[in-house]
Amino acid sequence: MKGRFYRLTRDLHLYLGLFISPFVLVFSISVFSFVHSWIPSLAPETVNTRVVSAVALPGDLEKLSGRPLIDALKPILENMNIRGEIGFVRHLVKEEKLIIPVSIPGRATTVSINLAGHEATVVSRETGLADALVTLHRSPGQHGPDIRMNWFYIKAWRWFADATVYLTLFISVSGIYLWYMLRVERRVGFILLVAGTLSFFGIAYALSH
Amino acid sequence: MPSAIEPPVPLMPKNGARLRAGFERWNRKLHFYSGLFLIFFLWLFAFTGLLLNHPSWTFHEFWKNRQQTNYERVIAPPGPNVNGDLGQARDIMKQLGIDGEILWTTTRTEASQLDFQVRRPGHFFVIKANWAQKRAAVQRSDVNLWGVMKILHTFTGNVADDPRNTRDWALTFLWAYSMDAVAAGLIYMVLSSWYMWLRLPQKRFPGAIVLGLGLLSCGLFCMGLRWLF
Repeated sequence: MKGRFYRLTRDLHLYLGLFISPFVLVFSISVFSFVHSWIPSLAPETVNTRVVSAVALPGDLEKLSGRPLIDALKPILENMNIRGEIGFVRHLVKEEKLIIPVSIPGRATTVSINLAGHEATVVSRETGLADALVTLHRSPGQHGPDIRMNWFYIKAWRWFADATVYLTLFISVSGIYLWYMLRVERRVGFILLVAGTLSFFGIAYALSH
Repeated sequence: MPSAIEPPVPLMPKNGARLRAGFERWNRKLHFYSGLFLIFFLWLFAFTGLLLNHPSWTFHEFWKNRQQTNYERVIAPPGPNVNGDLGQARDIMKQLGIDGEILWTTTRTEASQLDFQVRRPGHFFVIKANWAQKRAAVQRSDVNLWGVMKILHTFTGNVADDPRNTRDWALTFLWAYSMDAVAAGLIYMVLSSWYMWLRLPQKRFPGAIVLGLGLLSCGLFCMGLRWLF
């Protein structure tokens, strides 16, 4: 029974670990960009600008905000063949303009809609893989929960990100069990566990007190 | 003494096999040694990542539950050796007994006035110092343990696209490099696990399917969406 449980835990540790390993790499590699405010790019950013005229706009668009505004903008953007997660929309009242950021991991699009002229300028930047990882790392994130996840794929990304956390927790606990079952490794492992624990709590304590 | 008809290089494969066995043993050892050392760092970043992705979960709310205190202190003007905004801010912090990462949020308009914020996990200070009046007004906010944990997740000292806000506190450097170390440790753990899996012939096929699924789904978000849309 004990041997069966061990083998099952070992297999789950292996297979679930293999499944989430690409996600762990995404989160780990992008950490360097956050810590050092540096996003490497292998190729130069390409910028594409186009103008769309005769944009059909609902009459009450200027009065909307938050989620209703996002919902109203979605079909307008789809008509312009722009897809992605809509960010914080800025309304420039004097200029009668809406500035709409739309992002797909690796591509940042800014749509400026001239409300009076029913014209839109679409600037699309291909920002590359490293920027895609950074975008994914902070998606959907803690800000603007009422407007976030307005694109299905970002919602789906959150499911995967959540699954990565739950599986990471399982893999770490099962890893402790598998290590503990290796009698000869207990001593060194225990020393490292204590050293890591002391380092973590030591730094956290120094930072917060 | 080897004869002339024996294979000429029997030592290389033996050494190679020994090296490989040693590499495998140490790869396996280092895999779980790293995991054990980093376990609390990993739990912190994983768990707070989950919380940050679920701002609607109310149990981890910290800003609304903060404790705020306001006070004023008498301050002395900075000495002649104190230069620049950073030097002056540090001088004021020393006088006020405050430690932390400086955050610049306003542009300076008067030479005798310096407004800035100081942050550290669990504590936020908004400082408005005026040397003409020889006073500094401090607004201090203390947050709960959830706040400390979530701030640790993002506490790098840098603000994206703002070169004025860079790391300036020794402990922020320590924490930032700890984040680097955790990330490097996790990358190593992933790579070492792939190697260990490949050394198990009977698990290669099911493992390849599972890893393939992971790569496909992750690749869809990293690269595929740009191609599809």
